[in-house]
Amino acid sequence: MFGSAKLVMIGIVAIGLSGGAAYVYKLKADNVILKENNIKLEESVSSQQAVIEQQKKDFSNIMEANKRLQETTVTLAKEMAALDDKFNKTNSSGKKRDIGDLALNRTKVIEKIINRASANAQRCVEISMGAKLTEKEINATKKSQINSECPSIANPNYIPY
Amino acid sequence: MDELNFIIITSENAEEVFAKMKENGKDPVLFGLSDDDYEILAKNFAHIRAYIIKQNATLDEYRKYYEGEKNE
Repeated sequence: MFGSAKLVMIGIVAIGLSGGAAYVYKLKADNVILKENNIKLEESVSSQQAVIEQQKKDFSNIMEANKRLQETTVTLAKEMAALDDKFNKTNSSGKKRDIGDLALNRTKVIEKIINRASANAQRCVEISMGAKLTEKEINATKKSQINSECPSIANPNYIPY
Repeated sequence: MDELNFIIITSENAEEVFAKMKENGKDPVLFGLSDDDYEILAKNFAHIRAYIIKQNATLDEYRKYYEGEKNE
């Protein structure tokens, strides 16, 4: 009787040990899966961070591009206003310039002026269509040297004064 | 672009202008604009130029964005 009780005890211990061993194996397997999941999660987080970083960079680049385009628009508006001023400038006595009247009284001078302006305007179109600037245009820094129709694109070194 | 030449013609110099044109072998005919219309032509031309410049600037920004500054 004592022998069979001993056998039962040994059996219980053996079952307990094998159960424990199986549990440890299961824990190890779970641990491997958890580690793999963790790695995937970390990869996912880092790739998301990269996407967020890229989005931030893109946003900043787009804002800068918009700012530059806005500056171009402002410069062009100034050049349009300057052109309007050439035709309608008001002098110190409050009289508005009349190009027709000037052409009547100083025909040759005005003819020369409008032909020069016309040549300048054509050159502006050439430049805006991709023509390369000449050395003279690049080096122009004085008002007398510039293309007054579009100094913003024709004379990069000219600073209005 | 080809060069073009404006001639200002008034009631006073008309005969002289046409005589000079004949002398230079040109047909004595002019396609005219009034002073106001000349101003409109100049401004229209400036608007077209501004449009081209804006379009180019926009294209440049897209190119910088997609291709980077180095490919400018």
